[in-house]
Amino acid sequence: MNSRLFLKLAVTNIRNHAQTYYPYVLASSAAVMMFYDMLYLYFSREIGGMADSSALRLMLAFGCIVIGVFSFILLLYVNSFLIKRRKKEFGLFNVLGMEKKHIARIMLTETLMVAALCIGLGLVAGILFSKLAMLLLLNILGLGASFGFEVPLPAVAITVILFGALFLINLLYNVVQVRISRPAELLKGGNVGEKEPRTKWLMALSGAAALGAGYYIALTTESPLMALNQFFIAVLLVMVGTYGLFTAGSIAILKSLRKNKRFYYRTNPFIAISGMIYRMKRNAAGLASICILSAAVIITLSSTVSLYAGLEDVLRTRYVREIAVYASEVSDENIQHLEQIVAEETKRAGIVPQNPVSLRSASLIAMQEGNVFRGARTNFRAQNAAMLLFMTASEYSRFEGVRADLAEGEALVYAMKGEIPGDTLDLDGFALRIRSRLDKMESFAPIFAKGIMTKTYVVITADERDIFRARQALEGADAPKLLNYEYHFDTQADRGTQVELAASLKQAIKGASIDGHADGREAARQSFMAIYGILFFLGLFLGTLFLLGTVLIIYYKQISEGYDDKDRFAIMQKVGLTRDEIKKAIRFQVLAVFFLPLVTAVCHIAAAFPVITKLLALFNMTNVPLFALCTALTIVAFAVCYTLIYALTARTYYRIVR
Amino acid sequence: MALLEVRNLKKVYTTRFGKQQVQALANVSFSVEEGEFVAIMGESGSGKTTLLNILAALDQPTGGEVLLDGRALSSIPEKEIAAFRRDRLGFVFQEFNLLDTFNLRDNIFLPLVLAGKPHREMAARLKPIAAALGIAEILGKFPYEVSGGQKQRAAVARALITHPRILLADEPTGALDSRSSDDLLRLFEEINRQGQTILMVTHSVKAASHAGRVLFIKDGEVFHQIYKGSKTRHEFFQQISDALTVMAAGGGRHE
Repeated sequence: MNSRLFLKLAVTNIRNHAQTYYPYVLASSAAVMMFYDMLYLYFSREIGGMADSSALRLMLAFGCIVIGVFSFILLLYVNSFLIKRRKKEFGLFNVLGMEKKHIARIMLTETLMVAALCIGLGLVAGILFSKLAMLLLLNILGLGASFGFEVPLPAVAITVILFGALFLINLLYNVVQVRISRPAELLKGGNVGEKEPRTKWLMALSGAAALGAGYYIALTTESPLMALNQFFIAVLLVMVGTYGLFTAGSIAILKSLRKNKRFYYRTNPFIAISGMIYRMKRNAAGLASICILSAAVIITLSSTVSLYAGLEDVLRTRYVREIAVYASEVSDENIQHLEQIVAEETKRAGIVPQNPVSLRSASLIAMQEGNVFRGARTNFRAQNAAMLLFMTASEYSRFEGVRADLAEGEALVYAMKGEIPGDTLDLDGFALRIRSRLDKMESFAPIFAKGIMTKTYVVITADERDIFRARQALEGADAPKLLNYEYHFDTQADRGTQVELAASLKQAIKGASIDGHADGREAARQSFMAIYGILFFLGLFLGTLFLLGTVLIIYYKQISEGYDDKDRFAIMQKVGLTRDEIKKAIRFQVLAVFFLPLVTAVCHIAAAFPVITKLLALFNMTNVPLFALCTALTIVAFAVCYTLIYALTARTYYRIVR
Repeated sequence: MALLEVRNLKKVYTTRFGKQQVQALANVSFSVEEGEFVAIMGESGSGKTTLLNILAALDQPTGGEVLLDGRALSSIPEKEIAAFRRDRLGFVFQEFNLLDTFNLRDNIFLPLVLAGKPHREMAARLKPIAAALGIAEILGKFPYEVSGGQKQRAAVARALITHPRILLADEPTGALDSRSSDDLLRLFEEINRQGQTILMVTHSVKAASHAGRVLFIKDGEVFHQIYKGSKTRHEFFQQISDALTVMAAGGGRHE
């Protein structure tokens, strides 16, 4: 056999399987393109020249890894589907006298062609798109556009190597598949009498239990610090639960529906239920994957979008005024020094501080159990963590404009978050009697409201000595006998001046060797924009990729379903079902199968919503209505895409069945 | 009046692109009386399956007409044709055509479910039929769990449960071993004795010898027909065999 024959056979084969191969080629090219573009951004000189380049590159590297791994899994899955459909054809080649090594050679030729096509197309598209990706990223980051053009060689090399390896693995898999099977089996292909699936009650129940547990954790987690760990556990549980319920739960439900004779023996339920039992048996895992992918897409997009869109909120929560000056454990002289620095620097910038607020306080973390607080150094547990903010009665009076007469050993308590029972505060042996509780602290609250995550209590004592006693009890004898100081003010100046002022203040404080720093809303904007911008960008990129994966899985599901159902509906027609009735029955099943994952995904998101708001609080994003809006919009956009994909692929399905 | 009347049936297939035409049925006329068991024989390509498809209203003739109970099939509107087929005709196919997603009971119920019959009536109808066909024990099994003969008996039950005017069978023994074939043919004789009209297409002489009359089709026309009358099955078998030999030798009207 000469090589031209192999080439010809390979070309004809691919052309004959256009219906299944074109989407594969398109998806592979898209994966190559996205992977290359992410690598391009990682290697590009433009990003390298940025101020936060290392953090940015870390995120981009993370994006590369996710895209690489996901493309790998997706293309392996699609390939296994393709080869299953083609087994019959290879069986025929085998029966017609081709040896298995010849078949392997045909496969090699095919793979080489497909690989060259996909990698080539993907790279060309990637290079063309790279400039656009860069502009998009720069735009999101709020940076100016530049007009260079480059093709980093390492990016090209890594892309070619990774996807080359992927195609090689697919080829090996296919060769092994043909090698281990016998011609007779190959010819028979997929048409082996299928057993009715058994009801796996254990799996169904454990799936339901896992899902319930996951939902419970997601709905009940209170503290954002706990949320991160808990969220991963919840995600794992929900994933397990989804797989369990899709595979076993669905069949259990369908079978119990079948037991209800009066319901079951009517045209639509009769055909739909019996069909669904087999459909779920074959597709449960795929559908569960679609469900989880969909949920991942929606959550990734909605949270990154809301972080990005809520940047202004975040800055306002974090910075009560435009400029903030902090000093920790600072003496009175140093505070005067600090005030002097602020006065000098503002004067030099031609600014008169507006709406100033200052505060002297001490803050520490303790482990709370009822009204007992213990030091955090030993036995730290996130769910017990509580923040204690101490301030003196005189500071409180100055601050709120309310007189507070306290004797030594007495305290006023304001619980911003959490509860302290009883009428004494036990600070690891040092007791403070709670003289009264405050319902509100109007002028104070905003300063400390910056996304409180744990239980937080403001404790007002008679004087500084009680604060130091408390600290000694909780932190040991060497606890510092100084309070923190902070000073916030507005400037009524433009952005540039604000950024400069924050920088010059920072410099001056450093020069005065005071343990403090200065910061500003505008100065922070850029670094926040960089973090949230790159998250948003990654969210967009990965969201698109996940969507691509969903499309592919749905498409191939429709095709394989179509071939399976073809004979079945032909029989029904012979037995006396009209074309319309058949169409109705098909539509119901297809709709149920393809919208089940979407509906379940939306349920998951609804359950995850509270815990995600808490996670976002870690990023200072506390605008829940904004997040809700972003989530709703993302769900709608996703549902529209999904429906579109469904409508397109359903046409393929109907064409096969008819 | 005959139960089924076929008049000057003609069917021409046209290839999709070319103008090439293939004549499957040239001019077929015959009739079937109530309670008859008729076999239609012919070689592959003689037009048997086309004829059966037209009788089953699965295909439209190019010319001529088919009357069932005096009513022309072509006069039935498209919408009612499926219901008509379901209520008046029963089908048995060579490859059984049982749905693998249903157990045998549900397969048999299928036409009744489509007709919207209540479950109680379905169960009542199934009981005597299942007993007569000897499948009462295996109703809960799935098609892949039972033998070919059992599958075909379930298919017969599915055809009979609607009490059809006529049972159409397309090579019903084609996929069965000889013992199952004999069982099935005896079954056909038995239900025919009880009054069921049967029209069977086959190219097995043995299968045809169980019928009361055999029609021979060649080149799209009825070539010949013979009655069993008072002959024994063995004699009838011999006669059918001879007729086929004559037909194969080319003693036709066209040559």
